[in-house]
Amino acid sequence: MERGLVTLIGMSIAYVASFLGMLLAYWAWRRRHRDGDGRGRS
Amino acid sequence: MTRFTTLDWIWTGAFLLLMVGGAFFFYRLARRSESDFFLAGRGLPWWLPASSVFSTHTATDTPMWVTGVVYANGLRGLWYTFFAAWTAIASFVSARIFRRSLAYTQAEWQTLRYSGLGAELLRGWLAGWQVFMNMFILGWVGMAMGKVGNLAFDWPVWVGLVIPSVITAAYTLAAGYWGVVMGDFLQGIVAIFAIVLVSLVGVFAVGGPTELTNGLVSLGEAWRLDAFAFTGVFSGDFPIAWWLTMLVIAVVGGFGMGTSIDWYVEAQRIQSAKTVRDASYGLWAGGAITLVRNGFWAAGILAFFVLAPHLADAAEYELGWFRLGFELLPVGLVGVFFAAILAIHLSTISSHLNLGALYFTRDLFQRYLKPDADERTLVWVGRLATFVLLIGSFFYGLMMEQITQWLIFALWLMMAGIWLPNILQVVWWRFNAWGYLSSWIANLGVSWLVVWVLPSFEVIPELPQQVQFWLLMALGAAVFLPATLLTRAEPMEHLVAYYVMTRPIGWWKPVHREAVRRGLIVDDDSLPQDERRPLIRRQWTAEQADHWTREDWIAIVLSPVVFGLLMIGVAKLLLLQASGLTMTLLGLAGGYAVYWVIDPKLRAVSVEYEAKQTAYLAELERRLHIEYGDRLPSTSERSEF
Repeated sequence: MERGLVTLIGMSIAYVASFLGMLLAYWAWRRRHRDGDGRGRS
Repeated sequence: MTRFTTLDWIWTGAFLLLMVGGAFFFYRLARRSESDFFLAGRGLPWWLPASSVFSTHTATDTPMWVTGVVYANGLRGLWYTFFAAWTAIASFVSARIFRRSLAYTQAEWQTLRYSGLGAELLRGWLAGWQVFMNMFILGWVGMAMGKVGNLAFDWPVWVGLVIPSVITAAYTLAAGYWGVVMGDFLQGIVAIFAIVLVSLVGVFAVGGPTELTNGLVSLGEAWRLDAFAFTGVFSGDFPIAWWLTMLVIAVVGGFGMGTSIDWYVEAQRIQSAKTVRDASYGLWAGGAITLVRNGFWAAGILAFFVLAPHLADAAEYELGWFRLGFELLPVGLVGVFFAAILAIHLSTISSHLNLGALYFTRDLFQRYLKPDADERTLVWVGRLATFVLLIGSFFYGLMMEQITQWLIFALWLMMAGIWLPNILQVVWWRFNAWGYLSSWIANLGVSWLVVWVLPSFEVIPELPQQVQFWLLMALGAAVFLPATLLTRAEPMEHLVAYYVMTRPIGWWKPVHREAVRRGLIVDDDSLPQDERRPLIRRQWTAEQADHWTREDWIAIVLSPVVFGLLMIGVAKLLLLQASGLTMTLLGLAGGYAVYWVIDPKLRAVSVEYEAKQTAYLAELERRLHIEYGDRLPSTSERSEF
């Protein structure tokens, strides 16, 4: 496989892995705050 | 193909049994808790992290990379390997700060330094990045082992990639970081023995140091003996501008966290040390041994150049050190040499398996998926993550063909655009999570564009390396500085808690004032002043030792000089050059001076900090469960943060 293409694939996986981690963090943060808001109002 | 006798196989088997068996021995300790599985219970004396720092700085592809740069550049090529000197300053600055934070990982540290959504996004980002990077590193060093197996025994490449990694995974799964660090100690000894032996055998294969020097002269290559053989200020393949850039990246980078690709691995070693002092010495000694190792290697590789001069194909000359060992060592010792190669490989694989699993377990699973997981579950998740990383690395390894290019590209990615933010987040209170996150995202895109895409399409010419670095840094700053200054500073409450715990160096005056106002720390002016302060203070109270003083700065300035003197000095000493002896002796004297100046202070810091550590650890775990557990913190709990 051509080196540029391998690099592109490798970097894409790196991007995806980091974004997935960030997405998970965001999802957890949202869930926590949504739950928190609900309890705060009750 | 190498001829292996029964005696060689016996030696290889015996060493393998020792290294792997020694690691398995700690199975019972690893299963006690998450802290044991990933940090050996934070109880290691300095020499164990030191040997582990050395071992992790000695990856399977390291002999190829060091051989490549020294073969192509002579002794000046050692400066490429000087990137390990980030440990010189980091030992006395960032290691101290990071150890005091008690964070398991760099990703966790982000949530102590920053707060709110930005901190969480950063933690998730870094955890994802590190899980990937560790798998990537496992793949690339696995491929390096595949090449060595192919060179030595004509094995298909996949054999070297898969078999040793599976053996390593067995003890890493069972014994966790206990197995890693104990294995590293045993493997480090075997590796040092082989490196010294093969270098000496190489030098004497050309007739000894004098003949080696004469050989280079007769080949018209005497410049290779000069570590300062520059090709100009900006021109040629080794200009002063590039040398200075490398020095800045390595040495000044020690003020930050994450300025080197190795930081993330060594952060685990720093945190596993039993005191702040042990963490500092562990990192310092590991870095020093690594650079001395490079000196030994360089002498052997120069000998290889005399034996096989002017090889043009990098893939051929990068295997020079391996060829010296396999072709020159007598029967029996070839087996020991192969055991040493396995030792280097095993230590790298085990470290990255455990580290990748740590990021997954602590920063993704426990933080975001199951904050109330018990210790037993966390250890098993760690094991499962280790296994998944192993399988992923096989897939990734088989995709990679050119190790050196990957390494250089990865280093660029890690260093250029986020080098300065990595320092700023340690030394500047106003730097915030949005600034740091923006630098990461911008860096990935910008470095890919500047280094690969734009030159490929001839939009810009291929830039010299030093220009690439400073350009990437400037482009990154154009993004992260506005992002920092246009968003709010971290809440003072959060910054004060971080400051009191870690006592960072640099521009923290507003936070320091607030901490003093709240009565959490003592101001410098309130401390009892000596009538006449000695030039070098040797008696410290805990409060005095918490402040950054001239003793710290002496260690900070002297330490990189010592590293440089030892690295170049040892290489020249092996070539029997008079300057080698002088430099080595100066390096040793400088090393002792650093110890003499900084040790009393590090002892005082450690004693004071250890007294508070249990409470800090309890608070850290409590915060994790309060923030992410089923219940929300009460008002009184919130006010305690």
